[in-house]
Amino acid sequence: MSIEPYSEDQRDALQEITNIAMGQAGSSLAQLLDVFVVLSVPRVRIVEVDSVPESVEEMVEEADCVTVARQAFYNNLRGETLVIFDHRGCKDMADLMGHDGSLDENAEEELILDVSNILVGAVLNGLGEQIETDFGFTAPNIMARSVPVDTVLSKETLGWSHALFIEVNFSLEDRGFKCHLIMLMPEESIELMRQSLDKILESF
Amino acid sequence: MNADIDSQSFLRFIVDRVNVGVVVLNKEMEVLLWNNFMELNSGYSSDDMIGKNLFESFSDLPKKWLEKKIKSVFILKNFAFTGWEQRSYLFRFKHNRPVTGNIDYMRQNCTFLPIMNDAGEVQAVCITVFDVTDTSIYQTKLKEAMGRLEEMSIRDGLTGIYNRRHLENQLASEFDRVRRYGGILSIILFDLDHFKNINDTYGHLAGDEVLKSISSRLEAVLRNSDIAGRYGGEEFTVILPNTDAEGAAILAERLRKEVEESEIIYDGQKIPVTISVGVTLLSDNIENHEMLLNQADTALYYCKENGRNQVKLFDKTMTLI
Repeated sequence: MSIEPYSEDQRDALQEITNIAMGQAGSSLAQLLDVFVVLSVPRVRIVEVDSVPESVEEMVEEADCVTVARQAFYNNLRGETLVIFDHRGCKDMADLMGHDGSLDENAEEELILDVSNILVGAVLNGLGEQIETDFGFTAPNIMARSVPVDTVLSKETLGWSHALFIEVNFSLEDRGFKCHLIMLMPEESIELMRQSLDKILESF
Repeated sequence: MNADIDSQSFLRFIVDRVNVGVVVLNKEMEVLLWNNFMELNSGYSSDDMIGKNLFESFSDLPKKWLEKKIKSVFILKNFAFTGWEQRSYLFRFKHNRPVTGNIDYMRQNCTFLPIMNDAGEVQAVCITVFDVTDTSIYQTKLKEAMGRLEEMSIRDGLTGIYNRRHLENQLASEFDRVRRYGGILSIILFDLDHFKNINDTYGHLAGDEVLKSISSRLEAVLRNSDIAGRYGGEEFTVILPNTDAEGAAILAERLRKEVEESEIIYDGQKIPVTISVGVTLLSDNIENHEMLLNQADTALYYCKENGRNQVKLFDKTMTLI
């Protein structure tokens, strides 16, 4: 299946709404934790399935041992988000999230799910507001725990050829914590998003 | 008949009677709604609970954490979740598997939903409590079974030590690790001397007993970080991370001696057993883990040629077999 790439205007519009949505996610996290959150400029593009494992690997620096929370969202647009955490950050966050005492495995997973859910909820609400879509969400779950990053998404398990791929990094000022958010919307969602973007462009 | 009134009363009925806990809390953590599921499971009626602070009635709730969670829904206007896999339950309720469950309390997945007014402010938070006790029991059983299968798939059936497939996987990943991050790696390959004779003289069951006995001795000699397994018939491999050639040779000699001095008794007869041991260190010119194994195998071959019951370290003068 061939996919018509987004026009320059469409790309700009998507970049803009993504920036706003990611900004909202960052400020949600900041508000919750009462710390300053730094985020990278979101990268937005259409990818072929072959390049996905590589793209994921590229953005995560400490690739040896990551834990991944997965969450799905749906309306007419549907997709999944992955939030990838490296290890040192989790413990750093425990006290900020109101966990008592030492952090056992379950508490750490819960923390990862909490943070992931907050980011994903904020991003998608932000995105949804701008393209006038009210997303439904599934509960997040732990997709992989302490695995090398190149095993997180393997080509064989991905049943699509193209997807809209949005990625951003979040980190906390003065702390080791870092996480990476990836949003993937396969196939028909690319076209649906194009229609939403055109609608936004018309309204200018 | 007024359809609107009907649908409202339907909704009220459903919220009350649906087999899911529904609780609504205001900012002060006071209960605004407490449905039938919550009544039945907690023993507190709706009348008991409405207007009361949730934490006063349930002192065993994880207050600090839960308050923070609920507040985050008010502040961020975002839903939140808890799952049984991380937190078994929120409310300490009895479950419906008192006979077959073998768990303490009802397993729960909970959702926290912001209830917003027209101005977009969060007025209250709705907590829904799903009983996932059955799911959790099945999931736990499945996980245990998967764990056992995984363990079985990497173990040798006779001796219980790692099998060839696992050894090769481990060796490949150790090889990659050293190539990527540096460090050293040695391996030992050893073979029981004249194993065929043992089988012929004492029988196959005796042969099996020898293999089992060697395996348990092997595990006793090794350090925690060493990975040992049965590579084939009477052939064993030991992967020694962070070990130089000298260290590997010392360990190999200890192993050889341990086997030589061991008293393997089968059916009242003492079976003498010796081993030939090939040792090699990963050097720069080795391209893959198969080549490393090949070097150890070559060293082992030289032991066999040289009279057996000995240790040989691979060196470049040896011709690869």
